[in-house]
Amino acid sequence: MTDLASTNFPSDVPPRATSSLLVQSARVKKRNAAEKRFKFYGVAAISVSLSVLAIMLWTIFSDGLSAFTQATFTFPVTLEEERLDPQGNRDRAEMMRVTTIGYTNLLNQELVTYLGERGISTEGVSDAEIAAFISRNTPARLRQMVIDNPDLIGQTIRFDGFATGRIDGFLKGRVTRESAERDTNISVAQLDLADRLVDEGILSSQFNWSFLTNPDASDQRPEAAGLGVALIGSAYMMVLVALMVLPLGVAASIYLEEFAPKNRWTDLIEVNISNLAAVPSIVYGILGLAIFINFAKLPQSSPMVGALVLTLMTLPTIIIATRAAIRAVPPSIRDAALGVGASKMQTVFHHVLPLAAPGILTGTILGLAAALGETAPLLLIGMVAFVANYPSGPLDGGFLDPATALPVQVYSWASRSDPAFIERSAGAIIVLLAFLVVMNIVAIILRRRFERRW
Amino acid sequence: MFDAPNPGTDVTQNTLKITARGVQVFYGEKQALQNVDVDILDKTVTAFIGPSGCGKSTFLRCFNRMNDTVASARVQGEILLDGENIYDKRVDPVQLRAKVGMVFQKPNPFPKSIYDNVAYGPKIHGLTRSKAALDQVVEESLRKAALWNEVKDRLHEAGTGLSGGQQQRLCIARAVATSPEVLLMDEPCSALDPIATAQVEELIDELRASFSVVIVTHSMQQAARVSQKTAFFHLGNLVEYGDTSTIFTNPTDPRTESYITGRIG
Repeated sequence: MTDLASTNFPSDVPPRATSSLLVQSARVKKRNAAEKRFKFYGVAAISVSLSVLAIMLWTIFSDGLSAFTQATFTFPVTLEEERLDPQGNRDRAEMMRVTTIGYTNLLNQELVTYLGERGISTEGVSDAEIAAFISRNTPARLRQMVIDNPDLIGQTIRFDGFATGRIDGFLKGRVTRESAERDTNISVAQLDLADRLVDEGILSSQFNWSFLTNPDASDQRPEAAGLGVALIGSAYMMVLVALMVLPLGVAASIYLEEFAPKNRWTDLIEVNISNLAAVPSIVYGILGLAIFINFAKLPQSSPMVGALVLTLMTLPTIIIATRAAIRAVPPSIRDAALGVGASKMQTVFHHVLPLAAPGILTGTILGLAAALGETAPLLLIGMVAFVANYPSGPLDGGFLDPATALPVQVYSWASRSDPAFIERSAGAIIVLLAFLVVMNIVAIILRRRFERRW
Repeated sequence: MFDAPNPGTDVTQNTLKITARGVQVFYGEKQALQNVDVDILDKTVTAFIGPSGCGKSTFLRCFNRMNDTVASARVQGEILLDGENIYDKRVDPVQLRAKVGMVFQKPNPFPKSIYDNVAYGPKIHGLTRSKAALDQVVEESLRKAALWNEVKDRLHEAGTGLSGGQQQRLCIARAVATSPEVLLMDEPCSALDPIATAQVEELIDELRASFSVVIVTHSMQQAARVSQKTAFFHLGNLVEYGDTSTIFTNPTDPRTESYITGRIG
């Protein structure tokens, strides 16, 4: 029928070489080389990113792990009644009159006396310089301990007290004798004494729970600064964001995907959702400042305002993820449900949502993780403030109390002058990363569990 | 050339179930179906045949208003089910679809257990009062779909774990469970192997005793085997409609003859 045989190919096409299959032709060689090159590019890209990740993690961990230990003095302290409870009636109000200075003097004296008893040479170090070893946070802790438990008065207890940031840095290798020569806050003789104290077992590095529980501390007391307020603030915000973003995001996605008519308005909404997802987060901070703080008069620095801002910020991302998950449910399932007479609503809630749930949850948790690490909008609504008091419990209006957040704490510590804060900053990053890893693992587990059902 | 047309005896005595008059369907500006008039009889298998894109599936989907789910689709004309226009404003498609069940081209069981698949329709329509009654409906439906013996011991396993033919029979059971009056089948065997196809065809013949069955098929042999009435569609027009035996042995329209002899298609 056809006359393929007589079709004339253009004569400039070279005739195909009649060669053996065992020998690769030039074209095939070229193609194979291109394929090999492409694979190499891929492997190279992955290795570069993995090594950058490794370098980043190594830096963070080498800088930050030391934040979890703290140079601590352990020595017996006799809690003399005449100094701590002059009236002798164990009355709380009376005891509160003895200020931190009273405890400071007591601790300083006890430490100096104890060193004398142990026969540790304090040559070249004045008593005041010995006293300077003890963190200013330590007497406050001892005072709180005694006020909480007045029975301790009159006893001799083994007390663990923090050393100052310089001594802590010396034990961690950050402060050296060379740097001490240029440092007005510490002398070489003090470091020599610190070495002897370590040998005697009076000074040691211990795991530092208070890094996770303490509130922030002032520039002069890096050893006392902790993530307590930031952790509570971040936890409050995550709870609030999850409570607000999941219903809003899922409802909006279901409506747009299953019910909304396709017209110019829904197109406009769709485009704007995509645009909102690309808006820089700091813009949401300004929005939050203008609307929630200046207009709605919500208290600044509060987790509530932070959560509202982060909700606005993550909502577009979660709507996009949820819509993708809903769209991925095969249309045949919808047909099947509609075919047996299910209403649109029943179709969505009985069949589409359960099948889309893993995708929705994954999207939501990844959105929350992004919100957890977000800093810029929180700076604008005042969460970068120095907050030394814990917010109250969630039922006592704690959502409206001032708090900070983990990433903001990282930022504010990183900008302080004492190098001890750099270590804490990196430590806070480790905590933040740990939370992100946990959230991602939860996302994976939820996805697996829901997918495994059938 | 074909199997002898189903000796389904004379169906002319059967009552009228669906009457379609002047049905036109548009997808946006494009007209997919032009002025179709058809009478579907009760307790009869009616086959819609025709080349791809001729509008036969579109027409089938008018009977339970599945075209409503396509945003661009527009239906004109009237379709009467037992004398009531199903495109009347007062008709809720949800109620209509309980009366007019549908089986789709590809088996599409819900990703739930076999039991839940069948029980879903009766549950949402509130057809049963007790668990025992529901159990009974599920069993009856599965028996009608000739699937009971194969799955009775694993009712609570996933419906998606069955073979293709079993899945399609499960979908038939699911459609039957709401006790519909009409069963629509959109190329129910196109994704099945010959053995499963034979089982489903046999089943269709049995279902005829209880329902009016309308089946869209690409296979003329299948139409000849299972149906008593056949409608031939071409380019959005109903070309010829009549007894299956007449259509296949003595078609009046030259286009029908060309199609069944394989010259167009």
